[in-house]
Amino acid sequence: MRIIIVGGGNVGYYLAKRLAADRHAVTLIEKDSVICAKIAEEEKILVINGDGCDPDVLEEAGIERTDVVAAVTGDDEDNLVICQLAKDTYNVKRTVARVNDPKNEHTFNELGVDVPVDSTAIIAKIIEEEVSFKDVVNLMTFKRGKLAIVRVDLSKDSSVCGKKVMDIKLPGDSVLVSIIRGDDVIIPKGNTVLYPQDDIIALTTIENEQHLLEALIGKVE
Amino acid sequence: MYVIIVGCGRVGSELAKLLSLEGHNVVVIDKEQRSFARLGQDFNGLTLVGNGFDIDLLKEAGIEHSDAFCAVTNGDNTNIMAAQVAKKIFKVKKVIARIYDPERAEIYHKLGLDIISGTVLLAAMIRDKIVESHFTSYLIETGELGVIEIVIDEKFSGKTISELNIPGEFLVATLLKKKHVIIPGPDTKVDKDDIIMGVVKTTSLKKIREIFGL
Repeated sequence: MRIIIVGGGNVGYYLAKRLAADRHAVTLIEKDSVICAKIAEEEKILVINGDGCDPDVLEEAGIERTDVVAAVTGDDEDNLVICQLAKDTYNVKRTVARVNDPKNEHTFNELGVDVPVDSTAIIAKIIEEEVSFKDVVNLMTFKRGKLAIVRVDLSKDSSVCGKKVMDIKLPGDSVLVSIIRGDDVIIPKGNTVLYPQDDIIALTTIENEQHLLEALIGKVE
Repeated sequence: MYVIIVGCGRVGSELAKLLSLEGHNVVVIDKEQRSFARLGQDFNGLTLVGNGFDIDLLKEAGIEHSDAFCAVTNGDNTNIMAAQVAKKIFKVKKVIARIYDPERAEIYHKLGLDIISGTVLLAAMIRDKIVESHFTSYLIETGELGVIEIVIDEKFSGKTISELNIPGEFLVATLLKKKHVIIPGPDTKVDKDDIIMGVVKTTSLKKIREIFGL
């Protein structure tokens, strides 16, 4: 895929590096000429020194032929304008914007950014989940938060311990994806038996998350 | 009217003072508290420190019952984002954004934002002052129309306005008779040394110049 990344900070730099490693054609746009020189020296990435909000610079980066534009600068207003230019002026199919201030995620959705990525909220959520002792850990959400991958850690009191997967009554729209037992990853089948200390990874809709938890570890107080 | 102004620089503060003096309710938002010093002692509107596209702050500023919203900070993208929040999320009736960059000004004008670009206006004004002594294009946004000023000579003295108008190309709008402004009717006669001002299609400018010998 042809991908334009605007913003050569930590996020933009590592994103460019990873995508280039996956053999995508990456062009990085960065305002600061010193940063540009550094990245161009270290990586085999096409780097353009300029303002990614300037249509001329975007054209120089080949925006008319690009598949995806990712705006990952530290300024939300710049990221919004970059995505809008890409979408409305150059008909880029997919636009991704980094949201720096979580308050702006809603605004980005309303103003036509395809995928706003709220890095602050994501990190805050991960830390919050790591420090809290909840029975269910939300690993990832999709579809604007409707669907989630969760981790449920079984204890010896969990109602499903000793049962086979086929005997567990799961709520609708929930599936067990894998079981982590020690260092092993087990793909569950009907006759797989669950044990205490198993970590269960499951895919579920958000509204069924609580029911899934009850099905696996029993009634939650 | 209830007006929210984002950006209290020279333009924002001047605008706030003007509107406030005319009796409008004005709320000014700026990132820096010290910017409000530009408003002077007499300003009696509201000032709020913060970001001009912060939804919570805009609600606090009363955007839900505001009549107009102007984004006039010195950051084009800040203005673009704030104006779109006002227009698309809060559905404010009159939303104006200042944009320095002529290219972005044109793009967002096409996307339906009401844009004022000081850069474009000033450049056009200065150009007109240098190149054209009787013609201005900066008053009219489309660029297809301009305003031309013509001094009537003997050749046209005694003619009526309807004889001077050319449908689809040129229309006399005002008449200056010995420094009195007259809005003429079709039968109003022009005399030597009167000055007429008319709107003209830029495509017909050359033709009009030839007719009036400018």
